[in-house]
Amino acid sequence: MPDEKGRPNHIEDALSSMHKNQWFTYTDSKNKIYANVRLTDKIGVNGELVDNPVTELPTESAVNTKLTEMQNAWDTLHGE
Amino acid sequence: MSKTTIPTGGIADDAINLTSKVTGALPVANGGTALTSGFTNGGGLTGTDMWRVTADFAGNVNPISSNLERCDETGFGRIGTGMTNSSGTFSFPSTGIWLISFTAFHFTDNSADYISIKINTTTDNSTYALVAQGIAQMHPVDAFSQGTATCVLDVTNTTNCKVRFETDHADTSNKIRGQSAYNRSWFEFIRLGDT
Repeated sequence: MPDEKGRPNHIEDALSSMHKNQWFTYTDSKNKIYANVRLTDKIGVNGELVDNPVTELPTESAVNTKLTEMQNAWDTLHGE
Repeated sequence: MSKTTIPTGGIADDAINLTSKVTGALPVANGGTALTSGFTNGGGLTGTDMWRVTADFAGNVNPISSNLERCDETGFGRIGTGMTNSSGTFSFPSTGIWLISFTAFHFTDNSADYISIKINTTTDNSTYALVAQGIAQMHPVDAFSQGTATCVLDVTNTTNCKVRFETDHADTSNKIRGQSAYNRSWFEFIRLGDT
């Protein structure tokens, strides 16, 4: 969920950039914290539901690192 | 006894009894279409529902199967029991002519791109066909756009007539935005009338 200018500011920005398709979900969609992130069982590909090819959740550290990388890249691109 | 003018002082309350005095067609409004039948108690639409995508995703997805919820923000309402969702396959609560709409919020952070928004329906609970497609185009990075696809489905059988939703991009790293507090990417279902 980037801010209004598009700068990444949430773990979901990182999660949705780590793999394609709907590979993750939350146990509570109103509380999007790392502890609530889970893998989905199936994803939609070419009209079929197939097993999620992602079989392991990234660590919280890896997600935060990815988010920081995205923020740094955004800041560099926008001169901030 | 017929009258052609309203008497001085107007018409008294309860002076006109419409329960048995009206025949023929009633004009709806100036220039409107007269109605001679089709009135029902309550009238209006008999089925509406709205669902949304609750989390972001990247890439081509067909069907959108996860992170879906019925809208639940304060004040949301629906008519009837609403749609049933099973891993992205939506079933209708009743037969009828249904208007279906899919609007998606798209974001690109690295390249110009388009988003293709698709509605796929089946009438045999097996083979899905593309029935509506919307396109949104973006050129700069950090760009947002929104596109909509709409169709009408004659749901003659609630077991066999179903709908799914799909997105694809030229650049599969770009994303559809989801949100659980309000609508960013959503599906609308409105029953317009009988089949």
